[in-house]
Amino acid sequence: MTQRISKYQRFKMMNPIIQFFKFIYLSLKIMIVVASGHGGTRVEKK
Amino acid sequence: MSKILILGAGISGHVAASHLRRKLSKEHEVVVVSPNSNYQWIPSNIWVGIGRMKSKEILFPLAPLYKKKGIGYKQAKAISFFPEGDKNESKPYVLSEYVTGDKKGQQEKITYDYLINATGPKLNFEATEGLIPGENKTYSVCTYGHADHAWQGLKALISEMKTGKKVKILIGTGHSSSTCQGAAFEYILNVEQELRRHKVREMAEIIWISNEHKLGDFGMDGMLLSYGSMTLKSYEMVEMIFEDRGIKWILGAGVNKIEDGIAHYENLEGAYKTETYDFAMLIPAFSGHDFKAFDKNEDDITEKLFKGFMIVDADYSPKPYEEWSVKDWPETYQNPTYQNIFAPGIAFAPPHAISKPRKSKNGTVISPAPPRTGMPSGITAKLVADNIIDTIKSGKESLSHKGSLGNMGAACIASAGYGFTQGSGVSITTYPIVPDYEKYPNTQGRKLGKTFGEIGLAGHWLKLALHYAFIYKAKMRPFWWLIPE
Ligand SMILES: Cc1cc2nc3c(=O)[nH]c(=O)nc-3n(C[C@H](O)[C@H](O)[C@H](O)COP(=O)(O)OP(=O)(O)OC[C@H]3O[C@@H](n4cnc5c(N)ncnc54)[C@H](O)[C@@H]3O)c2cc1C
Repeated sequence: MTQRISKYQRFKMMNPIIQFFKFIYLSLKIMIVVASGHGGTRVEKK
Repeated sequence: MSKILILGAGISGHVAASHLRRKLSKEHEVVVVSPNSNYQWIPSNIWVGIGRMKSKEILFPLAPLYKKKGIGYKQAKAISFFPEGDKNESKPYVLSEYVTGDKKGQQEKITYDYLINATGPKLNFEATEGLIPGENKTYSVCTYGHADHAWQGLKALISEMKTGKKVKILIGTGHSSSTCQGAAFEYILNVEQELRRHKVREMAEIIWISNEHKLGDFGMDGMLLSYGSMTLKSYEMVEMIFEDRGIKWILGAGVNKIEDGIAHYENLEGAYKTETYDFAMLIPAFSGHDFKAFDKNEDDITEKLFKGFMIVDADYSPKPYEEWSVKDWPETYQNPTYQNIFAPGIAFAPPHAISKPRKSKNGTVISPAPPRTGMPSGITAKLVADNIIDTIKSGKESLSHKGSLGNMGAACIASAGYGFTQGSGVSITTYPIVPDYEKYPNTQGRKLGKTFGEIGLAGHWLKLALHYAFIYKAKMRPFWWLIPE
């Protein structure tokens, strides 16, 4: 195994307090991607 | 009064049925035909396959819910389509066969005014010789039954490892054109973490085998992601995770035959190779269901409805990769010949792949098919339902709801290990799903910022939260419709 993720990065990835805030941040960010809607890509024929 | 017939009760069929029922008055009939008596939340199969969830936690029976909500339900499978009716039946219908109970084996002509084909994929294990879930030491996690079985196989293997046996585990794609690499990616990381939890990790060599030409392609041509303050390519992120977890990889591999503990494959270099294993989970090819269609004179018109999957408003004219465009992708999922037929979710025929197609030196296509995950399946089903509702209410065809995969974002929360404090998840969002190289020419066709990746415990919590939220929504509990697709 090559340790590609440093101890500090791993600490941040697994620390429940940091991750709690990350959870809120990610939930909001995902909601923005979802809520920014969807639509067509073609120009309407008049 | 209109009758809407929905084939399939997976993510897209169930989303369509529930929205139609909520928004249409009771004079209109909503009928679901599906062979499986249960609704299953497929993304959580990963956890069933590592023994951390029971299959009963990810499913519920459809019949009582549909009865309570006034949705008709027939536990049957569609066989053939008669979009003009026949000599004796003036209305369009789908010939279906009951799969259980007193009516088992009986066929019925189920008529409709509007038809939603949401039958998803056929899990085409037969396309790979010897790839049979539960045989030849290969497993699948594509259904809860398969996932249960996979856990039995893995549990037995872990017991052997505890007695000192060294093993090789192979996870990835089981066909040169398989899709759904994301599910295999989740499973390999979850298996790796479970082996550590059982303190047998050092007894296993874990190998990723895939038809992708690069890690992190996921059938989406890879992605350029915002990752913290950096911008990473998806292959760099996956490579970092695999190296960190000690997972080896074989890429550009088209698995073509399975024998007991041996996977045969051809690679992009044209070499024929084998890989041995003690446990394998390989995603099969996905194909259409081989449905047939007939006109009112009972002449075969299958090519008007199907191209493997169902033909919709996509541009299917063959073109080289360089000429592919987001505009080729469908917007309303309506069949061009029969305008009362729609196919959301996985059931529609994509115009082409998303990843650049690749062939081996022998001419074998070794390239992932385009994935269609849960979120776009739900969104496309809802927009189809909304267009049908508008059409019924206004009395004239309305197709104002549109949702091309080239103008839609998707979130994919890939579990990387289970556990409330030890779990992990790789959260990835992409916008748009199909890259738009005209709009975003410098960022691989996607909008940076809206295309991002994150790794950590929060990803596990998110995946778990989505599990509970989507099962709540699927059970149509109070205010379920406030939860987005
Ligand atoms: C292991 C795994 C993990 C996944 N994880 C994720 C994830 O984390 N996130 C995500 O977004 N997506 C995920 N996906 C993808 C997601 O599950 C699919 O995108 C989604 O299920 C597609 O929905 P669908 O309704 O089109 O098809 P399905 O869900 O496959 O539903 C098809 C329905 O049609 C029925 N049917 C089949 N044949 C017939 C017939 N002849 N007549 C009538 N009905 C029929 C079936 O019984 C089923 O009810 C995962 C997939 C797998 C396999």
